[in-house]
Amino acid sequence: MTSDGELIQRAADGDRSAFEDLYRRYARPVFGLALRRLGDRGRAEDAVQETFASVWRSASSYRPDRGPGAPWLYAVARNAIVDRARSRTEIPADIPDEPTADAGPADQAEQNWVAWRVHRSLEELPEREREVIALAYWSGLSQSEVAEFLGIPLGTVKTRTRAALMRLSELLEEDFE
Amino acid sequence: MTNFDDVVGGDDLSPDEEARLRRVHDLLMQAGPPPDLPPALERPPTEPAEAEIVQFPMLPRRRWALAAVVAATLALLAFAGGYFIGHSKPTSFNTTRIVPMHGGNALALLRIGHQDGAGNWPMQLEVNNLPRQPKPQYYELWLSRNGKPVAPCGSFRVNQRNTTVQLSVPYNFSRFDGWVVTKQGVKERAPGPVVMST
Repeated sequence: MTSDGELIQRAADGDRSAFEDLYRRYARPVFGLALRRLGDRGRAEDAVQETFASVWRSASSYRPDRGPGAPWLYAVARNAIVDRARSRTEIPADIPDEPTADAGPADQAEQNWVAWRVHRSLEELPEREREVIALAYWSGLSQSEVAEFLGIPLGTVKTRTRAALMRLSELLEEDFE
Repeated sequence: MTNFDDVVGGDDLSPDEEARLRRVHDLLMQAGPPPDLPPALERPPTEPAEAEIVQFPMLPRRRWALAAVVAATLALLAFAGGYFIGHSKPTSFNTTRIVPMHGGNALALLRIGHQDGAGNWPMQLEVNNLPRQPKPQYYELWLSRNGKPVAPCGSFRVNQRNTTVQLSVPYNFSRFDGWVVTKQGVKERAPGPVVMST
């Protein structure tokens, strides 16, 4: 599989198909990040467009010797999203009297980075593996219910789930560590 | 909450494999579901490479063709290193949109940058062949409606064949349908005669 870094470098040379591959890999993670930060689908859509316009414009600034492509793309997306967030006039909030249980900025940043990595890696899974992961983790179905829902044997669901987790493990190590 | 043993099951995993899968399981739980992409984002932007040459305002077809010729002419001049660009470096301006303008023998490109956090639009106006005016007369760029100047966008003077000026406006462009340049006399607050338009 072509690495993100290679795709960024090819995009810098004007390779449209490399840019489209980057888009396919990262549109959903960027949109997820923008949604969490902006809380509005319309503005998140704009942030995605802006992110990829920035990727195309500034791809030549990527230096592979400084690290893999994913963190660079994350930084570009984050900048575009922060710019979009700043463009809205915020009404100053009252300062709470007591500490809140909400996640602080550092925790939120960590959470965003984890989601970015995972959602990016999910894009690389074959559809049938991505499907069992989504049903098992985010729809509340048991493995038996997933099997029934998809009309396949329980053993096949378990095999696909395990294969998907193994593949995700490789992808997460490959691109981010 | 999804249980690791329920999802992965079996006791045939080596400790190393189990540790790897458990780590991925924890990351999936932490990440939550990816969002559904809205239809507008299903395909990548069609023309991310270059600044968009905008039809601003909605030009009648004949005038739009003329504007395209103006843009092409200016691009050729720029490419040839001609007088139009002069000694400035317009490429250093982060352009998102380009609006061609013309009037008489004069040509212009209005480059629009990214809106900043405060709501300002940085712009760069390059004009070519606009007649030099005796002081203290000057030119003014306006946003227009129906060809009439409405909102002032900045004043400038020319003292050579080619001039580039930086401007910034805070307006909502959707409230207007074009741009014009007027010739202004001293003490003249009202818009003067239009000398260039989109």
